[in-house]
Amino acid sequence: MTLSIGLDAALSGLATTSDQTSVVSRNVARAGEPGASRKIANLVTLPGGGVKLASITRVSNAALYDKLLGATSDAGARQAIADALNRLDGTVNDPELDASPAALVGKLADAMQRYAAAPQDAAAARSAVAAASDLAQALNDATRATQQLRAEADADIAGSVDRVNTLLAQFATVNSEIVKGTRQGADVTDYLDQRDQILAGIAEEVGVRTVSRGDNDMAVYTDSGVTLFDVRPRAVGFDRTLQFMPTTSGNAVYIDGVPVAGGAGPMLAGSGRLTGLVAVRDGVAVTYQNQLDEIARGLIQTFAESDQSATPTLPDVPGLFTYAGAPAMPPGGSVLTGLAGTIRVSASVDPAQGGNAARLRDGGISGNPAYLYNPAGASGYTQRLEQLLDRLNAPMAFDAAAQAAPSGTVAGFASSSVAWLQEARKSAEADNEYKTTLKDRASEALSKATGVNLDEEMAMLLELERSYQASTKLVSTIDNMLGALLQVAG
Amino acid sequence: MTSTFISTSALSEATRSSLMKLQTKLAQAQKEVATGRLADVGLSLGFKAGQAVSLRQEHARLQSITETNGLVASRLDATQAALQSLVDAAQSFQSELLGARNSDTGPKIIQGQARTALSAFADTLNTAFNGASLFAGINADVRPITDYNGQPPPANAQAVATAFASAFGVSQSDPAVFSISDANMQAFLDGPFAGLFDPAGWGSSWSAASDQNVKSRISTNELIETSVNANDAAFRKLASAYTMLADLGTDKLNQSAFQAVVDTAARTVSEAVRGISELQSSLGTAQERVEHANGRMSIQIDIMAHHIGVLEGVDPYEASNRLAGLLAQVETAYAMTARIQKLSLLDYLPIA
Repeated sequence: MTLSIGLDAALSGLATTSDQTSVVSRNVARAGEPGASRKIANLVTLPGGGVKLASITRVSNAALYDKLLGATSDAGARQAIADALNRLDGTVNDPELDASPAALVGKLADAMQRYAAAPQDAAAARSAVAAASDLAQALNDATRATQQLRAEADADIAGSVDRVNTLLAQFATVNSEIVKGTRQGADVTDYLDQRDQILAGIAEEVGVRTVSRGDNDMAVYTDSGVTLFDVRPRAVGFDRTLQFMPTTSGNAVYIDGVPVAGGAGPMLAGSGRLTGLVAVRDGVAVTYQNQLDEIARGLIQTFAESDQSATPTLPDVPGLFTYAGAPAMPPGGSVLTGLAGTIRVSASVDPAQGGNAARLRDGGISGNPAYLYNPAGASGYTQRLEQLLDRLNAPMAFDAAAQAAPSGTVAGFASSSVAWLQEARKSAEADNEYKTTLKDRASEALSKATGVNLDEEMAMLLELERSYQASTKLVSTIDNMLGALLQVAG
Repeated sequence: MTSTFISTSALSEATRSSLMKLQTKLAQAQKEVATGRLADVGLSLGFKAGQAVSLRQEHARLQSITETNGLVASRLDATQAALQSLVDAAQSFQSELLGARNSDTGPKIIQGQARTALSAFADTLNTAFNGASLFAGINADVRPITDYNGQPPPANAQAVATAFASAFGVSQSDPAVFSISDANMQAFLDGPFAGLFDPAGWGSSWSAASDQNVKSRISTNELIETSVNANDAAFRKLASAYTMLADLGTDKLNQSAFQAVVDTAARTVSEAVRGISELQSSLGTAQERVEHANGRMSIQIDIMAHHIGVLEGVDPYEASNRLAGLLAQVETAYAMTARIQKLSLLDYLPIA
């Protein structure tokens, strides 16, 4: 009875065309979704001439996808560092604004020059001390900003770790659906898309490597080889530090007890936002703080007072600039961590704190008469001021750990700190731009290869419409034929 | 088919991201055209930003030294003017001395002139400039010279009176001074009286000035003396010459003793004038050095300003050309985006 076979075939055509249409509409619906891949309905011919939907597969490109994951992790790390350096730039700003510690050291020297030209002038004395206060304040503010940056990086690390944990839990759910569905032969393409998106999210935070196994199962490792997911998700652990002082060091991020970011070990992750944030917290910000501390130490040492007795016996003491550890001098030649946060103008010389600004000219800021340079109090005495100006212009040694000029004047060191910061910023920005471009290109390439093209779907739809029309025409024709047959028979 | 495939989202993403990049560049170029400087100096210069900061520091430092040099120069001018007025007064006094030597009314007249000259001398040396005494050395806030004619008689007048009385046994106003011989007078002038004007005597009764002169930094590494102090030998001599005629009973002395005083005074005044001229020439040297330093620094300031401009500035023509180019690009991109968005198969499909 071939007519009924024809009818069956036409009906199966109608059924598969609806299935295909539903695939097309799924594709159209997700045309704007960046991570969605194109679905393809695979048909098989049935024995006897019918057709049936065998499976739905998606267009994927593992190589491009891996490249996207790597580029995403790299871009994440660079972005974190570039953002941090841009924040630190706030402590330096445009050279024209003269707001950097370097420029303020210059302003202090200028104010002292004016004071030395009119040493009897109380207003000139006050303006020199005010310039010193501005400088101390700028160093305090820069320290606060730097530590704030570290605290925020630490908070971001905690946020990043939370996100990885959440994503890993989602990954586990989706992955088990995929494995189950694949075994049952169900359509898992949407789950696969979803898993890819989750994985891209994880890759933003930490660099990943994946291993695919049977039944579409997947294991995820960090780029350093620590297991993130294998059958079950591993817990990523991190203890956030709430308050950051210059001497505080943040905690490491652990997976399965192995440090992957911060701390030390062979398994530290190589990319991802986590590593960028850790580099900010434990690297960039710490180095910058060292530089600020060295500027502060240079100032305290430059303005130190010596015993002026005929036979000096007393040690040098901090003068115009002092700090928490006074009257002892900070150790020479090495960073005293956090000094820039506590440096201030001595109260006895600061009119704003009830002091006498003329002590800048006469010495004895520490209060001990042995340190008076101008015991007679001659109002035209300028030797001490000139000595201080000379010392500001004299080179001194700085700690190499600060990564700025190892020797030079205080102002020169402060300028080299600006140079360090801006160079780091420039290269981080260039790096970031490069990695971001790579990521955009990878994402574009992947989208080009696996994405949906509306025009193509429309063309497909036209084709399906025609084929549906043909099938219905067939059904009605066969119906007519059967009807004619029945009439003959009736 | 896959080789020419492109997804719809890749197409719209590409136009979107290229527009974003263009707009970022547009904002930068616009700022550069408006300010003539790099939009983000630190980011564009990198490590050279340190150089820019140093140059600006150095620039400001030279400017502040030039500024303080203005102060130093006007103080030097004021000092020179004061010294010149001392010289003028001393010279006219000297010519009066010659006239008075052989005249009968001379002693009386010259005594009055000497008293006036002594007051003017104290006034001149007590000149203050910008709140600081010019001739007080580093004791800038004191009036260095005690006025001899003050009432009650100040320390310097008392010291002269005591010395006179102990040498001759009478006070200056006593008519008995007429009997003082010229030899005795000369011995007094060279001995006890001169002692009042040596550094120790001067310091105890005449001057509160410091021997230490004011030093000024006139360039980054030049520190020079820019004042003379009232304790200089020239001033002491001038004061002693005036005092001789003002307060040694000049109007009552006999002719030969008076002439001894006049001769000594004339000699002392010319020594003082010579000394003051030397001071003037040394201050002149300082003025010249200040001027030279200013000239040098103004050249350096110009060079630094130029370098700062080279580092931080942008070529305005280049920047505005770039801006014009970017504007054209953005407009093209807008037009393209609009056309690409319009491009859809849907518009050509028959709607059933």
